[in-house]
Amino acid sequence: MWKQPAPANSSFNDYNTFPLPQTQRGQSSHAHGPVGHTQQPLVTGTSVLGLKFDKGVMIAADNLASYGSLARFRDIQRLHPLGKHTLLGVAGDMSDFQWLKKELDALLREEDALALSDSHPSLSPKNIYELLSNLFYARRSKMNPVWNAVLVGGWDKVKEESFLAYVDLLGTTYTAPTLATGFGAHLAQPLLREAFEAKAGINGDGPLLTQEEAEKVLDDSMKVLFYRDARSINKYQIATITAEGVSISDSKSSDTYWKFAEGLRGYGAQTQ
Amino acid sequence: MFLTRSEYDRGVNTFSPEGRLFQVEYAMEAIKLGSTTVGITTPEGVILAVEKRVQSPLIESSSIEKIMEVDSHIGTAMSGLTADARTMVEHARVTSQMHNFTYDEKIGVESCTQAVCDLALRFGESVEDDDALMSRPFGVALLIAGIDEKGPQLYHTDPSGTFVRYDAKAIGSGSDAAQQSLQDAFHKQMTLVEAHSLALKVLKEVMEEKLDENNVQLAQVTPAKGFEILGETELKAVIETLAA
Amino acid sequence: MALYSQPPMSYTQEPTTAPVEHRFNPYSDNGGSILAIAGKDFSVIAGDTRQSEGYSIQTRYARKVWQLNDKAVLATNGFAADGTNFVKRVKQRLEWYEHAHHKPMGLKSIARMIQTMLYGKRFFPYYVYNILGGIEEDGTGAVYSFDPVGSYEREACRGAGAAQSLIQPFLDNQIYFKNQQPEAGSEKFVPGNLPLSTVLSLVVDSFTSATERHIEVGDGLEIYVVMQKGRSADDLLDEKKLAPGLKVEELGALGEGEGERTFLVRQSLKRD
Repeated sequence: MWKQPAPANSSFNDYNTFPLPQTQRGQSSHAHGPVGHTQQPLVTGTSVLGLKFDKGVMIAADNLASYGSLARFRDIQRLHPLGKHTLLGVAGDMSDFQWLKKELDALLREEDALALSDSHPSLSPKNIYELLSNLFYARRSKMNPVWNAVLVGGWDKVKEESFLAYVDLLGTTYTAPTLATGFGAHLAQPLLREAFEAKAGINGDGPLLTQEEAEKVLDDSMKVLFYRDARSINKYQIATITAEGVSISDSKSSDTYWKFAEGLRGYGAQTQ
Repeated sequence: MFLTRSEYDRGVNTFSPEGRLFQVEYAMEAIKLGSTTVGITTPEGVILAVEKRVQSPLIESSSIEKIMEVDSHIGTAMSGLTADARTMVEHARVTSQMHNFTYDEKIGVESCTQAVCDLALRFGESVEDDDALMSRPFGVALLIAGIDEKGPQLYHTDPSGTFVRYDAKAIGSGSDAAQQSLQDAFHKQMTLVEAHSLALKVLKEVMEEKLDENNVQLAQVTPAKGFEILGETELKAVIETLAA
Repeated sequence: MALYSQPPMSYTQEPTTAPVEHRFNPYSDNGGSILAIAGKDFSVIAGDTRQSEGYSIQTRYARKVWQLNDKAVLATNGFAADGTNFVKRVKQRLEWYEHAHHKPMGLKSIARMIQTMLYGKRFFPYYVYNILGGIEEDGTGAVYSFDPVGSYEREACRGAGAAQSLIQPFLDNQIYFKNQQPEAGSEKFVPGNLPLSTVLSLVVDSFTSATERHIEVGDGLEIYVVMQKGRSADDLLDEKKLAPGLKVEELGALGEGEGERTFLVRQSLKRD
């Protein structure tokens, strides 16, 4: 979950209606002038969910990039494929995400070029994840974090198994059969784990969810997130990564039910 | 001879068409001008012996220092341009102490030798931001004696940065004859006392002056006492055994 | 002139509400606990596998205990990203050392090296508590414990991490026999002489108790056992002598195989 951008002056902007970009005053100026470090995220994406199923892995994220509490960009894709068998789902600062896309795409293009003239193995999801982890940890160690939380989903062609792992702005890394960033870690992760363990058991050695079951769990989870996360939007995509490759769904919406709200004071058309 | 070589002995890092680095080879020649130095390994420890050339009766012979301590378990004897050896011994001492500080153990004799040899080829026209290296090769060879978990060891280093382990080795002006004597007399089960007399016997053969306690120096590395340079009385005792 | 010799009060006054400082915090606490106990001819190094942040479990399986070489095992606890990256650098140094000195690094040397590596980052520390266990040059079991900036000492046992305050008093009592009185006429207690079976059950009890009492401890337990060369492993490998629920696996030699043997004992812990 992303902190509210800091207001310039706390006695002002008490409602956090807009973030005010802050320039560092005075401090940290070197001989070469002040170094521009990301001290806070501005335009942010919220939760990303990830779930392993029997033939691969799915990653879901909505299409919103918020500017503070303002739903600023409502058609942003936060799922980014890298090569044939890897996909990133990115939460956090969207400009850092765009920078990351540029860097990784350039790297992959270079790898592709090598593969043309050589029996050069393509980068596995694990390779890309390790690279990303080292990058995030190195940047946090320079006190200049890449302000994102990323899920890496993929299919390992050699091991013939799915891959799912997390890395964030601190360089913290972990893997699990179900993952979620930000608000999703609180609201959706319990639902994902419950569904996963219902079939696979707590040790994960039973059968995994089918593709249809996995998609259903993600649809339900995205709906819950839309209901309860004020920085979410009812428009999201699900990426599916299998041995066949990456496929990203068109944007879709959950069916929502607001009838109950009519009886709530402050929502309906009450006059008193 | 110089005419044919002249093109290639200018640049210190230029190979000749035959694949030789003349400056390095000349540096090795400088060692053959140095005083004779001998080292012998025994199961009880390693010994080092040097000839001190006292060119004038006015020289205070104890001020000639050709055997130096590197660490409590490693010592070195030199032949050639002994001033160059100071740089190398300094580096060896720092490396040994750094190793002891970082790993809480004594540095290996081979590792210490390797550290010294790493310096050997850092000469030539200095490149920018390349911190102060030598303009020419070192003109000195070292015998490095020490004891570690692999037991007593003796290494020889030369200006090319090559190091080789020996049971017994002689360097310097009398090295050819001395090495032959060592080869004839050395055996693997030699005692430390035998090694002392052998070393001095070999030096005596190649020295022009009459050997006495003022113109030789003897040192040893033993498991019990580590590195030590033998004192005058101990040295005299060994010299007496030679006469008999 | 006198009018302007002192600027008006309102200019000199500091703003009554200072701007909110919003500074990137490069650290996190990922919970969990580790523990090591030295025996006469063996050493036991253990850690749980839960990784958490705040009230969220990030993953139920993240490694905190690492086999460094045939006679050394390192446990890390604190900020997980620093932990994994620190272990990575320790392993790199061990490899460099082997290349330079043609032998594996001894345990006390690893301990000293870890001190220098930690202190090297004294002013931007690795936020990690380390415990190093293994077999000393003389064949005795040993435990070294460290603070984040490199202070270290050799001990008979040490617990660290979230449940240190629960585990260490128990160990003080059971290993150092603190607050125990030998019966009149019986022999004096000497720490560090307990048989492996006793040590193993103390480790298991430490973690099951910590799991019950601390929310950040649980999910899984990994116990590494390093044995002196030539020591019989019957007390570990005999299924009948082993407590139920423990699974033993021998880890192959990493280096030349100088005779020390390392075993990994696993057990599950409660997940709530």
